[in-house]
Amino acid sequence: MALFPLTSNFEGDFVLQLVAVDSENTMDEVAAAAAVHSVGRRVRARPDCIMRVRRQDATEFLPRTMKVSESGLKPTETVEIIWEPARH
Amino acid sequence: MALLNRMDWYDLARTTNWSPSYVAEDELFPPKLSGDFGLPQNAWEKYDEPYKQTYPEYVKVQRDKDAGAYSVKAALERSRIFENADPGWKSVMKAHYGAIARGEYAAASAEARMMRFSKAPGMRNMSTLGCLDEIRHGQMQLYFPHEHIAKDRQMDWAFKAYDTNEWAMIAARHFFDDIMMTRDAISVSIMLTFSFETGFTNMQFLGLAADAAEAGDHTFANLISSIQTDESRHAQIGGPALKVLIENGHKAEAQKRVDIAVWGAWKLFSVLTGPIMDYYTPLEHRKQSFKEFMEEWIVAQFERALTDMGLDLPWYWDIFLNDLSQTHHGMHLGAYYWRPTLWWNPAAGVTPDERAWLEEKYPGWNDTWGQCWDVFIDNVVDGNMAKAYPETLPYVCNMCQLPILGTPGKGWNVRDYPLEYNGRLYHFGSEVDRWVFQQEPERYAGHLSIVDRFLAGMIQPMDLGGALQYMGLAPGEIGDDAHNYAWAETYRAMRAEKKAS
Repeated sequence: MALFPLTSNFEGDFVLQLVAVDSENTMDEVAAAAAVHSVGRRVRARPDCIMRVRRQDATEFLPRTMKVSESGLKPTETVEIIWEPARH
Repeated sequence: MALLNRMDWYDLARTTNWSPSYVAEDELFPPKLSGDFGLPQNAWEKYDEPYKQTYPEYVKVQRDKDAGAYSVKAALERSRIFENADPGWKSVMKAHYGAIARGEYAAASAEARMMRFSKAPGMRNMSTLGCLDEIRHGQMQLYFPHEHIAKDRQMDWAFKAYDTNEWAMIAARHFFDDIMMTRDAISVSIMLTFSFETGFTNMQFLGLAADAAEAGDHTFANLISSIQTDESRHAQIGGPALKVLIENGHKAEAQKRVDIAVWGAWKLFSVLTGPIMDYYTPLEHRKQSFKEFMEEWIVAQFERALTDMGLDLPWYWDIFLNDLSQTHHGMHLGAYYWRPTLWWNPAAGVTPDERAWLEEKYPGWNDTWGQCWDVFIDNVVDGNMAKAYPETLPYVCNMCQLPILGTPGKGWNVRDYPLEYNGRLYHFGSEVDRWVFQQEPERYAGHLSIVDRFLAGMIQPMDLGGALQYMGLAPGEIGDDAHNYAWAETYRAMRAEKKAS
């Protein structure tokens, strides 16, 4: 358990933002923490989508249940939060 | 007694180099301060300033300029222009004075470095006058806003801003420290006078003077026009120095200095001048868009100045031309959204009419920045103000110290330009900002951005209140919407009309 700063690059938003998460947070929790600062502020919510996390320039998302401490992300590294259509 | 014509004696009178016999040339002109590029005094004696002025001429002309600007101010002091001005226009003045006045005063010491340490006698004469210019600009731009302090505490930032850790001031200081406070005399002439002043101050001073006159603020229009007449003279200090360097095989070093300074100047103007021209100035008073000004003054004129000099366009010119339609929209949205951290009250500038103007000047605006503003406007109309203010910091660039941003909405292209150096992860707002860092990493590596300081625990408590205190923003100075959200009424009415139909 440790405070872990990340840089959020939220799809559709215009600016990178500092997001404080915990090293034991999952990627879904990282996405939710990032959304607090973008969704409903400058980005519309998309109820038909879930939010996924990936490294900048990566094509694959990090697994939703992967913890920050397992991801190899460095403090302040930029992660992209991307809308993914929810499977019904 | 008959006086000789200036040109009969000027060249001889300013030929003040001599061969030192008690000290070595390097002691008289330490290379770190003079920036001689290994060239001896006689190479620099070929420096030929295009604008020649003697001290008596200077004093006479400056006296007349001062008399003009101060008498307009005195005549209009009872005109209540300030009280009656659009709040957006007041914000223009506050942003301008805070960002510029003390920087001009600091520039006097950069001019003084050229005055004392340049090996070119012509440069020493020109920068003696340039130094006096900058003192005049500092004094005027502190004196003129002073009459408004009693009416509006934010006007105090004309003096106060430069000493604070307010984020925009950190950005301005980082840039000016880099190009004028910590460079040798020749580099100052290239980076401050040629790159920044020739390239960019026309934008701030001529463009803004036109907007000021349109807005009926003749005091401000006269003040900054008066300043610009000095700038257009002392901005010419750098050109002949570039010529000497290029003739002596130092084009690459000269080019690099130009490239670094032009990029930094562009970023600073994108946050200071871009929002002023395209969002704060009332729609009916706008002469041209920021992009149109940039294309006229920078692309058309400065491009020619560069190529006439024998220099190349900076390697990033295509990136720069593309960013002209984009960066300042993000800087405005960022400055506005984080408005409590400003010493002025930004005008949103997004009424339906203003948006139509933005769409006309910047096709696609509504599908990109407009999408972010749509969400913001809904929050204001709904009274959901908690979502209309920030709860974290934007990540800022380790070079320009400004938010790292890009185009949002349907054109989303935001990205980081990271770099690991000596075990520290740096973040940059563009490929060019990162390139500047890589040219001389040790020059920049130790600096902490506002975000770095926050993460290092230097800002306490670690919340907005702590950040505002760290930035020196006292109650009564903290920024908010210039029009107190009155513009949102149009949207409320539109929504009601839609509902009714």
